[in-house]
Amino acid sequence: MNDSKQTRKFPFWSWFWFIIGVLYFILPLYATLDFSLRMERGVLSFKAYERAFSDPEFLRTFGYSVILALVTIIVSILITVPTAYWIRLRLPEARRIVEFITLLPFVIPAIILVFGMIYVYSSPLKFPFTNITLMQPLTTFTFGTDILIVGGYMVLGLPYMYRSVDTGMRTVDVRTLTEAAQSLGANWFTIISSVILPNLRTALLSGALLTFAIVVGEVILASFLGVPTFGPYLFLLGQHRAYEPAALTFTTFLLTWAAMGIIQLVTGGQGQTAGAH
Amino acid sequence: MTAKILSPAMSKAPPSNWKNWIGVIPFFLFAILFLFLPSFRLFAGSFINSEGHFTLENLLELFTQPYILNSYWLSIRISAVTALGGGIFGFLLAYSVTVGGLPRALRPALITFSGVASNFAGVPLAFAFVATLGRTGFVTALLKNLFHLNLYDSGFSLYSFVGLSLTYMYFQFPLMVLIMAPALDGLRREWREAAENLGATTMQYWFHIAMPILLPSLLGAMILLFGNAFGAYATAYALTGGALPIITIQIGAQIRGDVLHNPGLGYAMAMGMVIIMAVSLAGYSLLQRKTERWLK
Amino acid sequence: MAFLEINNINKQFGKAVAVKDFNLQVDKGEFVSFLGPSGCGKTTTLRMVAGFETPTNGNIVIESKDVTNKPPNQRDVGMVFQAYALFPNMTVAGNIGFGLKIAKKPAADIHKRVAEMLDLIHMPDFGDRYPYQLSGGQQQRVALARALALSPAILLLDEPLSALDAKIRVTLRAEIRGIQRKLGITTIYVTHDQEEALSLSDRVVVMHDGKIEQVGTPFEIYNFPQTDFVANFVGTLNAVNAEVVDPISNTLRMDGFQLQTAGGLEGRLSGDQVMIAIRPERLSFAAEEKKANILACTIENITFLGSIVRIQVHIGNTNFYMDTFNNPFLELPKIGDKSEVTCSREAVLILSTNK
Repeated sequence: MNDSKQTRKFPFWSWFWFIIGVLYFILPLYATLDFSLRMERGVLSFKAYERAFSDPEFLRTFGYSVILALVTIIVSILITVPTAYWIRLRLPEARRIVEFITLLPFVIPAIILVFGMIYVYSSPLKFPFTNITLMQPLTTFTFGTDILIVGGYMVLGLPYMYRSVDTGMRTVDVRTLTEAAQSLGANWFTIISSVILPNLRTALLSGALLTFAIVVGEVILASFLGVPTFGPYLFLLGQHRAYEPAALTFTTFLLTWAAMGIIQLVTGGQGQTAGAH
Repeated sequence: MTAKILSPAMSKAPPSNWKNWIGVIPFFLFAILFLFLPSFRLFAGSFINSEGHFTLENLLELFTQPYILNSYWLSIRISAVTALGGGIFGFLLAYSVTVGGLPRALRPALITFSGVASNFAGVPLAFAFVATLGRTGFVTALLKNLFHLNLYDSGFSLYSFVGLSLTYMYFQFPLMVLIMAPALDGLRREWREAAENLGATTMQYWFHIAMPILLPSLLGAMILLFGNAFGAYATAYALTGGALPIITIQIGAQIRGDVLHNPGLGYAMAMGMVIIMAVSLAGYSLLQRKTERWLK
Repeated sequence: MAFLEINNINKQFGKAVAVKDFNLQVDKGEFVSFLGPSGCGKTTTLRMVAGFETPTNGNIVIESKDVTNKPPNQRDVGMVFQAYALFPNMTVAGNIGFGLKIAKKPAADIHKRVAEMLDLIHMPDFGDRYPYQLSGGQQQRVALARALALSPAILLLDEPLSALDAKIRVTLRAEIRGIQRKLGITTIYVTHDQEEALSLSDRVVVMHDGKIEQVGTPFEIYNFPQTDFVANFVGTLNAVNAEVVDPISNTLRMDGFQLQTAGGLEGRLSGDQVMIAIRPERLSFAAEEKKANILACTIENITFLGSIVRIQVHIGNTNFYMDTFNNPFLELPKIGDKSEVTCSREAVLILSTNK
């Protein structure tokens, strides 16, 4: 590709803003790293990391987060993929309303969502218009809060997962693929498992990684619903200790970078954005 | 039949009957259980007073109670400041790696990093900024040792409006970069060349053509940034612990322990937030559509 | 002194040579096309005239003024881009008047001129529309008006019609030529479509791999191609190797057949190999009328192309294409038949054998 301009003068301002941007990005990370290495007085060491990772509470909560993340990802995929597929092939009229729904999480931030969920699910589940109790309030038992938080996580990740899958389906033109497979005699199961899903690998990976990043870092839903995940643990740790939280913070950053890097690699695109928490 | 331009999917779709709606039931069920039900309950709850009767008082109190108004105002201020600041800075960054003439390899690096930074919010971000600008933070120490400038003596505090704004900027301007980089890509090279061909200087091109074209994207993105900051909770809580009474913190306190002694009021506050977020999202969508129309 | 002089232009991008030794003199009011395949350097040359690229060496002179180092916003040229490049945030009137606004002309003058331009392109009521409301053809006409509003000395068009449908292309190109004639404006038109180049131009510059292959009128380019490339690129051609028998009497041998040509064998020796070419429309069946050259053939294939019937015949070791006008009473041979085809001496073109 040829350059359309004769070599222009040195782009001073571009470099200026770029360097400032880089500094702004890097300084906090550097500061965190630096701090996290200074647990031993006078020496740079990984002691904070050792301490942090060997804390059984860390392993417990982080593991819990990972499990919840995986469950969220799986259920999200199970719901999003067929829905997106169905809309493309059979029900284009539903597209607008479904896309509207995927925008709702932007309007209902996590704090409001958890507010509403607690309001709804802290009363016992009754048969409508009767006093017959079907289930104790979801918020009162662990499995119940697990269900709620996975639902909440799915809501938070919905816009990205759906958009990723939808774009993937459009790029691959699932309609044509389906028709081709049908003309060759495949049934629905074969079509979905052998034709559609393999072609959505990139989109699914993208959505999954983003969901993972959201879940592991999430703290609002977890702390208000009382689910012992990594987020509240990190927060609490920060109240009592200085170096270990810094170590974990830096680790979180590396994990997020890894996830985004993989997404960037796999999609070769702009990557996805998530909002603030 | 009137001539209509049908999208390929629509023109080939078989006529759908109610059976087709079965396929989307799981999705709608999920949406109802975890989105609509909580939202409607909140909405309904805001009309109920402490005795359980219907009332509009809660809504009125939103506008009359000074501390509630202050909370909203504080949230609006911090969101506006970080939207504007993050917006401008993010735009300049996006500009520098797209049209601005920097080596092309820098762009993917910036985009990836922006993706990371825009996700790096909440507790870890607060801790990172404490390590940077806290009382014993890296930059604080640097300024003291190198420039003999004592940040905290001169009145600065990380645990204030300014500090929180600086922290919010960390995820605001990357978001701006991610939105504006593709928009800047949409500035076709030929427009610039056509403008030059017609006698325009670089400044004139930007003033008459590039900026007007980018304006809907810019404004839309800033509105999105506004909404983004408005709904943030974890970063603020982890950083200031509730000292800055932005509206999300207020709601958090309300959830924990009904500090208002009036659940309905809490729900009304939540609704107020949702309305502000909805207006901001609507504004963004509208401007997006305008952008797409021009850059077809 | 010609109106536009492009002298010894070379352009390199790094190691790649895009344009080499380009020389052209264009007279005032002339319509010149740059014709060639993608990557031949025609657009690069045009952009150098416009000022968007700087030549590595050589200079460009417009109305006796050397503009080689002038930035594009100070040259007196108007450019029409392939992708129209209308400013989406301005109305049609705004687009057309943009150059005048930049030149700080009074509003009344701008208004008047825009109205004139809209009349010129036959779109008088479109002033308030926005580009996204226009079709491709309409957008291109507005782009043309925008370029002409400043009355530039030279009009440059970079494949302006390639993004449009075939039917629109034909009408629009006639309009462009009509406007050009009316205004008498010197024009350079870049295209890869030979039909466009041949039908519109006063002269055609055929380019290949950055170099000029031939410059001439459409008639000359088509009927007297000077290089293999031109002969192959412009129109269809039957090209085949032949051996010179006698350069004085202009006799050749091809696949055992004897051919007479009308000339072009100067400086060649008996036994030389040459490349000859015969246009399909210059071949006809010997049964109708016998001409200087007669060749026995077998009918290979018959294709209807609409107004033309293209017959593939096998002569000696080679397949030749023969075009004849279609008419309902045409009696065509059948595939596999043996027949004889004929052509005149002048129809046998000698191509240069420079590789």
